[in-house]
Amino acid sequence: MDIVATLENLVREMEERLARADTLEELEVLRADVLGRKGRLARIISRLPGLPPEDRPVAGQAANRIKERCAALFGERRSALLASREAEALAGFDPTLPGRAPWRGSLHPVTLIADEICEIFTAMGFEVVSGPEVENDHYNFEALNMPPEHPARDMQDTLYITEKVLMRTHTSPVQVRTMATRAAPLAVIAPGKVYRRDSDLTHTPMFHQIEGLMVDNGITMAHLRGTLTALVRAVFGSRTRVRFRPSFFPFTEPSAEVDISCCLCGGKGHHRGEPCRVCKETGWVEILGCGMVDPAVFSAVNYPDNVSGFAFGLGVERVAMLKYGIGDLRMFFENDVRFLRQFA
Amino acid sequence: MLLSLSWLREFTPYEGGARALGDRLTMLGLEVEDIRNPYAAISDIVVGEVVECGNHPESGHLHLCRVDAARGELLDIVCGAPNVAAGQKVPVALVGTRMPDGMVIKKARLRGAVSCGMICSERELGLAENHDGIMVLPAGTRTGLRLVDALNLDTEILNVSVTPNRADCLSVLGLARETAHAFGLPLSVDDPPLTGDDGPEANIPLEIEDGDLCRLYAGRVLSGIRVSPSPAGMRYRLNAVGVRAISNIVDVTNYILFECGQPLHAFDLDKLRGGRIVVKTAGDGERFTTLDGQERTLNAGDLCIRDAERIVGLAGVMGGLNTEITEESRNVFLESAVFRPECIRKTSRRLGLSSEASYRFERGIDQKRAVLALNRACAMMAAASGGVVRKGVSRLEPRPFVPVEISFRPEKAGDILGVKLDENFCEKTLAGLGCAVTREGTRWRVSQPSWRPDLTREADLTEEVGRVYGLDSIAPVLPPVRRNFADAGRAGSEFSFRTRVKRWGAGLGLTETVNYSFVGHKDLDHLGLPAQGRISILNPLSAEQNVLRTALAPGLLQSLRNNLAQGAAGLRLFETARIFEDPGPDTALMWDGLPMPARETEMLGILLYGTRYDEAWPHAEADADYADLKGIVEHLFHFLHLPGTDYEDIGEHPWLLPGVNISCSGRAVGRMGRVKPVLAEIFHARKDVWLAECNLDELRGLHDKTRVFFVPLPVYPPVRRDITVMAGEYPRAGQLLGHLRALRLPLLAGVSLQDVFEPRPGDRHLTFRLTFRHAGRTLKDAEVDKEREKIAQSLVKTFGVSI
Repeated sequence: MDIVATLENLVREMEERLARADTLEELEVLRADVLGRKGRLARIISRLPGLPPEDRPVAGQAANRIKERCAALFGERRSALLASREAEALAGFDPTLPGRAPWRGSLHPVTLIADEICEIFTAMGFEVVSGPEVENDHYNFEALNMPPEHPARDMQDTLYITEKVLMRTHTSPVQVRTMATRAAPLAVIAPGKVYRRDSDLTHTPMFHQIEGLMVDNGITMAHLRGTLTALVRAVFGSRTRVRFRPSFFPFTEPSAEVDISCCLCGGKGHHRGEPCRVCKETGWVEILGCGMVDPAVFSAVNYPDNVSGFAFGLGVERVAMLKYGIGDLRMFFENDVRFLRQFA
Repeated sequence: MLLSLSWLREFTPYEGGARALGDRLTMLGLEVEDIRNPYAAISDIVVGEVVECGNHPESGHLHLCRVDAARGELLDIVCGAPNVAAGQKVPVALVGTRMPDGMVIKKARLRGAVSCGMICSERELGLAENHDGIMVLPAGTRTGLRLVDALNLDTEILNVSVTPNRADCLSVLGLARETAHAFGLPLSVDDPPLTGDDGPEANIPLEIEDGDLCRLYAGRVLSGIRVSPSPAGMRYRLNAVGVRAISNIVDVTNYILFECGQPLHAFDLDKLRGGRIVVKTAGDGERFTTLDGQERTLNAGDLCIRDAERIVGLAGVMGGLNTEITEESRNVFLESAVFRPECIRKTSRRLGLSSEASYRFERGIDQKRAVLALNRACAMMAAASGGVVRKGVSRLEPRPFVPVEISFRPEKAGDILGVKLDENFCEKTLAGLGCAVTREGTRWRVSQPSWRPDLTREADLTEEVGRVYGLDSIAPVLPPVRRNFADAGRAGSEFSFRTRVKRWGAGLGLTETVNYSFVGHKDLDHLGLPAQGRISILNPLSAEQNVLRTALAPGLLQSLRNNLAQGAAGLRLFETARIFEDPGPDTALMWDGLPMPARETEMLGILLYGTRYDEAWPHAEADADYADLKGIVEHLFHFLHLPGTDYEDIGEHPWLLPGVNISCSGRAVGRMGRVKPVLAEIFHARKDVWLAECNLDELRGLHDKTRVFFVPLPVYPPVRRDITVMAGEYPRAGQLLGHLRALRLPLLAGVSLQDVFEPRPGDRHLTFRLTFRHAGRTLKDAEVDKEREKIAQSLVKTFGVSI
């Protein structure tokens, strides 16, 4: 038979067989049979040199045409098979199945609030310092203008280790330690655990405070107001109102307690027609104590009397309760992961 | 301090409401916590007149009354009290009134007779404890008035939280002074003239041992008194401010204490032996029974009031049972004194005996008012008890009040407050508060009022000026923050390191917990922690919190228990906190160069329990094991750039089995392992509890020393060879790895464990992957094979294993 006719037959046969090949494996067998190195096309082409020279160009062109045609047919079929195989593979794809979740961790709300506040202050230029939790009476009380038998000691029920050693009742001893070792100007904050002999619905024997201290020439109550107002706005939002109410701490004078407009009722005193349980209808909630450093504290650390300064102490749990709407202080220390994982 | 608004109005004509006064006082530093009405429960009771009163035909003791309560018609009320009679003015509870005990008055039928209301007794109204029939009001009382108005009861009580510096405000008078000043009102203090020139002079001889402890002692005698309940007005008023009425003598002392802040004490004069008073400290171990019937052992620091023979009062704290006023008392010696605050506080605290009197003595008394208060009390007592005040005042004042003179600079005060202060405002404020002000240029002389022991320094006056100016009116300013150059480059705080570790932990998938720093001794005992070096709390709240923790394990295990009780299936907890140890008497510990009493070590604790993954699908279900815990620990060391970590079996450990010591660069930095199941049981753990504790202070030290340097990336490809070591339980994988790394072969770039296969128990096939690389060229197979062979020989020779 004419070699060109043989080639044309090959194409027809290829078309038929391709139509019957339903898998990539069958396709591969077919490819090897027809187009492979030792396949039928190759064998036909190997007969070309044996043809009479005048027939060779026609046969050669036909062979090339048929080869391309076969390759194209084969490619089409392969693409079609591949596409249908992928479609089959994806038929079961369910994008709503859960992901292979890595472990989820969380930070304690006290850490989150303390970090947030420390970041606000370090951005202002304050430095973070710390001190021991078991303290000498001297640093916790005496150097803070609370000599033995001072009635202000009643404000802080104390856990004692010995007569002169105690669990610090506030972070204020860090003020004394910092000033005793460093000269003014100073701008520091001291976060940490503090302890009181107190346990009920609204008190736990351990809680966290952040102490702040700034000492320089010409520091005023106006600076204290500015700094704490900035803090409150950063933590609770720029529309929060701040109120400074005169109070008393032995280590500051004048002293003030800072109230913010109630986070729940927005300062209205009632929430959804009910008396507000957070601010007890006053519209204000107390958030921290502060004041101008008492001269007695400066003299306890031998500071010159031409400096002035402010100090403040803030309860971290208190801020967390207000910010997150937590009603029960004790939850902070029960470590129920259903509680802990809600915040971060 | 409970302040009655109507009592306050006896001193100053404040016409505003309780709420407005509360707000003003609060912004002056006298925080009003709440406003209460102690008589709210009887506010619906009205005054009625018994128009007719007859006997109930069916009952021997019931009366049928017709009562006019200004309701347009007479009310039929059945009353069982024997003392009810026509013409009486009585308190009436109308139908619908809720009584203090919660009962609501309903129209009722009593033995056939209709009753539309109830005539009340004092006890039913909560006004007294006795039950002597119905309460009969004065004849002139207007019918139809609310009872609270007719009796002028104190219905508005402000609960003022008085700070320890404001001793003066622990009285109606002091708060009236603040009110008058705040609202620009007059203050009228009715200081009665010395009364009682009736009988013969009675002077009780006084003796004061130490004038520093007792600055003033005064007393007067009343004779011919009859002890009985106080007049109703006084009883109701005391009741309104939370004081139980006792008798016409004791009630007056309480009334004066609340009114002007001077504690008084009434002795039964006939029981004062030798008719004299000596103020003197107790002998060590001396015993004394106070009014509450408790016998107390005194010490040499306790100041006492004595008669000629014995102790009759604990000065400023509580009187004695031996000279108590009783119903039989006829003659009274009334004491008014001023004691040293610290001395009273010490005794009161040591004995755990705090009284209204000691509370005020501790904070300071207006010495110039002591005798005025005594006289006022005597006059009231005589009126209430039918006695006479005897002529003469026994009085000894070893330390008369001398006001402190303070130098005050208005400009300096303005500098502290951050405002421009008007000098006239300063003068008006200080004078208004009772100070004597002498203006002399920029430095004024200001002397303290006798009722303000807290005003002794310029800062105290600055606070007063600021308080009245209004701290809330100062315009906020952000300060320029300057820092001392000497502090530049100081080592970073422990805070920032701890913060990094916490964020690492949360990021890795652990849940941060915060446990109390104290636990119970029994919790430490349970884990077999040494008893030595523990720090106990002297006055713990409970036995569960009586010692500082010496490890984080007890707290983490308690958190485990809390969560298991809530049905948790798997937990990954961590905590960073300090542990505490007693350094012993000979070790002086320092914190930044200053002494600190305890050794405090910052620790990181990690606890793994139960299912490895929070959600089962698509993870394979399995429980956390040693590899999980160690992986976390290794991750931390990698995160902190800490090299050269070693893990060594501890062997015997009190609470871990297996337990592993962790060391880094030759320093012990922690331990980890499985909590012994027998110990974990009480925490309700049914599966393995894996626990690690690392010393963060050590890790911080190592971390700070670590310098990170860049290593150039390799240019030529690596060649890998595996080597399988057939060993038993020993050598440990770590030993083999350590050996391979210690060979320091120049071409060996890395070693890792590829597989562990146990053909049978006790046999282990450990496959290591060796990575070879040359920095300057591509390696040939032959030279790599030679290297591998060298390594194989070395393992065989060192450990006797086969390859």
